[in-house]
Amino acid sequence: MVDHSIAGPSGLMVRKAAGDRSARARLAIVLLAVLLVAVALFSLTAGASDASAVDALRDWFSGPDAADRVLSARDRIIIYDIRLPRVVLGALIGAALAVSGAVMQGLFRNPLADPGIVGVSAGAGLGAVSVIVLGGTALAPFTMLLGSMALPLAAFVGGLVTTLILYQVATRQGRTSVATMLLAGIALSALAMALTGVLIYMADDRQLRDLTFWQLGSLAGATWTKIGTAGPVMLIALVAMPFFARGLNALSLGEATASHLGIQVQKLKYIAIAGVSAAVGASVAVSGGIGFVGIVVPHLLRLTIGPDNRYLLPASALLGATLLILADTVSRTIVAPAELPIGIITATVGGPFFLWILLRKRGVIDL
Amino acid sequence: MIEARDVSVKLAGKRIVSGIAFEARPGEIAAIVGPNGSGKTTFLKALSGDLGYDGSIVINGREVSATRPVEAAGMRAVLPQATSLAFPFTVQEIVRLGLIGGRSGALAGENERLPERALAKVDLEGFAGRFYQELSGGEQQRVQLARVLCQVWAPVLDGKPRYLFLDEPVSSLDVKHQLIIMDIARDFAKRGGGVVTILHDLNLTAMYADRIFVMHRGSLAAAGTPSAVLSDSLIEKVFDCRMRVGVLPAGDVPFVLPQSVVM
Repeated sequence: MVDHSIAGPSGLMVRKAAGDRSARARLAIVLLAVLLVAVALFSLTAGASDASAVDALRDWFSGPDAADRVLSARDRIIIYDIRLPRVVLGALIGAALAVSGAVMQGLFRNPLADPGIVGVSAGAGLGAVSVIVLGGTALAPFTMLLGSMALPLAAFVGGLVTTLILYQVATRQGRTSVATMLLAGIALSALAMALTGVLIYMADDRQLRDLTFWQLGSLAGATWTKIGTAGPVMLIALVAMPFFARGLNALSLGEATASHLGIQVQKLKYIAIAGVSAAVGASVAVSGGIGFVGIVVPHLLRLTIGPDNRYLLPASALLGATLLILADTVSRTIVAPAELPIGIITATVGGPFFLWILLRKRGVIDL
Repeated sequence: MIEARDVSVKLAGKRIVSGIAFEARPGEIAAIVGPNGSGKTTFLKALSGDLGYDGSIVINGREVSATRPVEAAGMRAVLPQATSLAFPFTVQEIVRLGLIGGRSGALAGENERLPERALAKVDLEGFAGRFYQELSGGEQQRVQLARVLCQVWAPVLDGKPRYLFLDEPVSSLDVKHQLIIMDIARDFAKRGGGVVTILHDLNLTAMYADRIFVMHRGSLAAAGTPSAVLSDSLIEKVFDCRMRVGVLPAGDVPFVLPQSVVM
């Protein structure tokens, strides 16, 4: 089951309590960090340009003098201005979505909660589409005031409103009904998508092109500017979330017990909902709907390192980032020189995985 | 010291508990008994700060409704009737959650070993590595008690008594473990803490409680020592049952023998 001993600092065997998976979790986090770096390097160098990972690294650490540079000017542009922003954005979005999934699952006390499944992404999408279509007309004051922040902010508001409604509907006296949560999520998704449909119907040709690409979910539009607008929001959410890992752990015993243990449950819930909405809103704003990362990643990790959020949240961030970079690399190389939207890749892998979770849990979760 | 005066609780507009006067002293076990639906759990929830109330509940000089969760967590630990768990935690991980408030009161460096010691107390040695959801109902209840014990490991902290609130702590336990758990409660009280517990077994109540509060339809029907409170007439009135109350030959502990339902 679990190692009962681990090697201590001086090679002595330190006795470790049975059922304590923290040593294993810490090791997993280190391994995942290494994996993330390796996959990021691989992604930087995979594709039409044949610069190797070693060359890219040597170039990165070369002096300011142009003569020292290892890469050609063309390769430098491909790597630094096209692939690197994609890798960075992919990492941010993957981390944001996976951590959001883990936090929502902790909040709803349910392994099936996921921003994509319960309609938060659809709500964020509605916010984003409103800005794309109505930005020049009805929402003009809003977009003029906020500039490039208008899109992520609208997506955040859309996600926040959806999460709040969902929580109100699905939770009664601290207990969340799985069936109500999923059904309310379906209803909210349908509603958000219907309103999005109305907006698309109103859109002109240029807006339509933007919308189609955006809706399928893609990192192809990654630029340093986009990272500059959405990145900070995601980073703040990512940095904040570990601070309520303890609270989420307590919450898995129920709201009353969490409060008895000294957790300010209401405050925790509000911050968690705001954090999830911000992270999901920002990623939906820049990349459209990328599904299943939020449910697959935390679930896989819970199987190996256990449900302790102090380790689950950082590990989810790392694995989410890794998987999304990998999916993006596949999406831009599998049908090269064309591109497959990344949402298609994550759904193709994530869909069957989700079914597998449902099959495994059939005895436990009875709808 | 816990002192409740004229406590009333409303749930969804309906008055569940009204006019309760209650007292729990350090060094004592205060038992709350009464038939199903008499408001015992609701009152304990008010005591735990889960429900709003009218009147006053003061623990160690602090009004419960004005105490922040983190402060309350240092004064008392609460064992609920049942706990559902969302994720596959191990027993060790559950028990360690009792320590997240950081006020166990154990000596520095001892906290790491508290889960193990608490599990030994509730007769679950060797269960630390098991998955909580795979345990029987009675075992789960004892795991939760171990968690609660970790939270207030020292019955007295900074010179102030601390309290255990137990809602039917022995309801799904076999006789041996009923006694083990009640002995833990008695030991906690002997070392200066206070215990408030809801019990259904009147004999266990008679054996262990220093003070009994009998609830009936949301109000207090009687309060006092076991021998003062447990009488044929009171029990028949409150529980709708004919019972024989006797006194065990060895000492002054009363016992209660159920006879028949009052028609």
